[in-house]
Amino acid sequence: MRALVIDDSRTMRRIVSGTLHNLGFETVEAEHGQAALDVLDSGVHVDLACIDWNMPVMDGLTFVTQVRADPALRDITLMMVTTESEQSQIVRALAAGAHEYLIKPFTADAIREKLEWLGLVPAEEYV
Amino acid sequence: MSAMVDSDSVYAIAESVFSAMIDGDEGLLLPWEGDLPQFADPLYAWVDLLGEWQGRAALTTEAPTAHALARALLMMGDDEVVSDADLIDAFGEIANVVGGNVKALLPTQGTLGLPRVDAVLPPHEGGSLSQELRLSWRGQPIVVAVWLFG
Amino acid sequence: MTLTSDTFEWVATLVRARSAIQLGPGKEYLVESRLLPLARAAGMPGVDAYVSKIRNGRDTVGERAVVEALTTNETSWFRDNSPFIALRAHLLPELMAVRNRPVHLKFWSAACSTGQEPYSLAMTLLDVLPPTVTFEILATDLSEKVLDRARTGKYSQLEINRGLPAPLMVRHFTRVGAEWQVSADLRSRVTFRPHNLLDTPPPGRFDVIFLRNVLIYFDLPTKQQILRRMASVLSPEGSLMLGAAETTIGVDAGWDRVPVGAASVYRPSRAAPAGSPAVPSQSARPGAATGALAASSVSALGIRAGAVR
Repeated sequence: MRALVIDDSRTMRRIVSGTLHNLGFETVEAEHGQAALDVLDSGVHVDLACIDWNMPVMDGLTFVTQVRADPALRDITLMMVTTESEQSQIVRALAAGAHEYLIKPFTADAIREKLEWLGLVPAEEYV
Repeated sequence: MSAMVDSDSVYAIAESVFSAMIDGDEGLLLPWEGDLPQFADPLYAWVDLLGEWQGRAALTTEAPTAHALARALLMMGDDEVVSDADLIDAFGEIANVVGGNVKALLPTQGTLGLPRVDAVLPPHEGGSLSQELRLSWRGQPIVVAVWLFG
Repeated sequence: MTLTSDTFEWVATLVRARSAIQLGPGKEYLVESRLLPLARAAGMPGVDAYVSKIRNGRDTVGERAVVEALTTNETSWFRDNSPFIALRAHLLPELMAVRNRPVHLKFWSAACSTGQEPYSLAMTLLDVLPPTVTFEILATDLSEKVLDRARTGKYSQLEINRGLPAPLMVRHFTRVGAEWQVSADLRSRVTFRPHNLLDTPPPGRFDVIFLRNVLIYFDLPTKQQILRRMASVLSPEGSLMLGAAETTIGVDAGWDRVPVGAASVYRPSRAAPAGSPAVPSQSARPGAATGALAASSVSALGIRAGAVR
């Protein structure tokens, strides 16, 4: 499994990537939506994209819209990972084609549970 | 105006940011007891709230505490040196997450500016302080402030 | 104001014994910060003095307060997920098939804590059941404090991030300040009531009882007693859901373990009445007498064991 982690904060990219590595993902990083589209255009295949909303050059919502407009990219699971936390924003992102929405701040467990729900990691047995 | 950005909500936001992203445990960010000492070497991180409701969410702490916060976020060892770029990015990201959640307390949908970090906080015309929380993180003072600009 | 290692050791031992949570080296600051508000409330100058007082006075109420302060109650929405998938894909369709119309289903979320489980259940039922099927959900816990929180239905941002799918979040929750609140409709679907698992169970015949991650806290005789009570209020086609790491095997031979999708449910065995002492050699061997009977009781529900995936 490979994930594309899109966030203008290197700190946040490191946190998200670190959690994904622990769940068995390889990661590729991009600092905004356009850089992420360039990664996909270069032929890198990813299963999952974790997408910040507010970024310079191209924001996350625009990225989601662009990916959804491209049939070749239809297999990518899109999860917003953002501090935008108004209900209306979540509805907007889902309507644009995001599959999941994780609000910052989040814990590593929260990422794992979202990915379990999306079927990208096997469910862990809790004690 | 300050009713919608109440101190309980701002505290809940700050606490969730610290417990989830910095400490991995709840209960390490507490109200500051007693008088707050003057900051000797302050560092500010802030984001501006834009739209119908304008404002700012800012964190202030001593520079060494900001370094400690950056190390915690970046999962670095206690004695590792934080680069300026990492410090600005990590400390700014805390303000960004706090600010995004504060923005959601406002009655109309606005947008968030990009986070800034500096040793001085530039003044903002006509701002009124909405909330100022004096907090203690591992014994060190941290101030979380929210301004609303009419 | 730092904690003495003596205080830390005592607290760590207490918490480990009561909750199985390990407070290893490096957690001193956590202990200090969590207990400081309690110490201040008790009028003590610091955590060392507060802990000494509890220790020397053998103050069991104080001990409980210490353990509670250090064991954060981490509950997720759709915890484990597989029981909810089993419900959606198998248990609910089967119950609807065998029941006379109009179908009315009863659920019990036992030890529901702050309510994530019964609300997750309500969201699943609203999604799966046709409007003609009615249901009721009873949710119980020992603690009035957690029940009050559950009734209010307000959850922090961190709690809402835990396992709640975004489409369900926007459908059933609204933002209230820094928190999220369950819709009035969803709240009206769950009845919260205090109940001690060691007391007489609530009246009724439940079709599904959730008793997850609870038995682990009790000793063997208490586990047996609780399981017997559960059997007495389960409908003939009913299922008991335990935590993923829990089982009746080796505890009470009166149950059959029935695989349903990726989950397992427990049904009172037709062979031995619930409450029979466990016979490890028998229950440890699948395919023995109990296994065959499990298959027959399952087929009465219109599913075949082993083919339910």
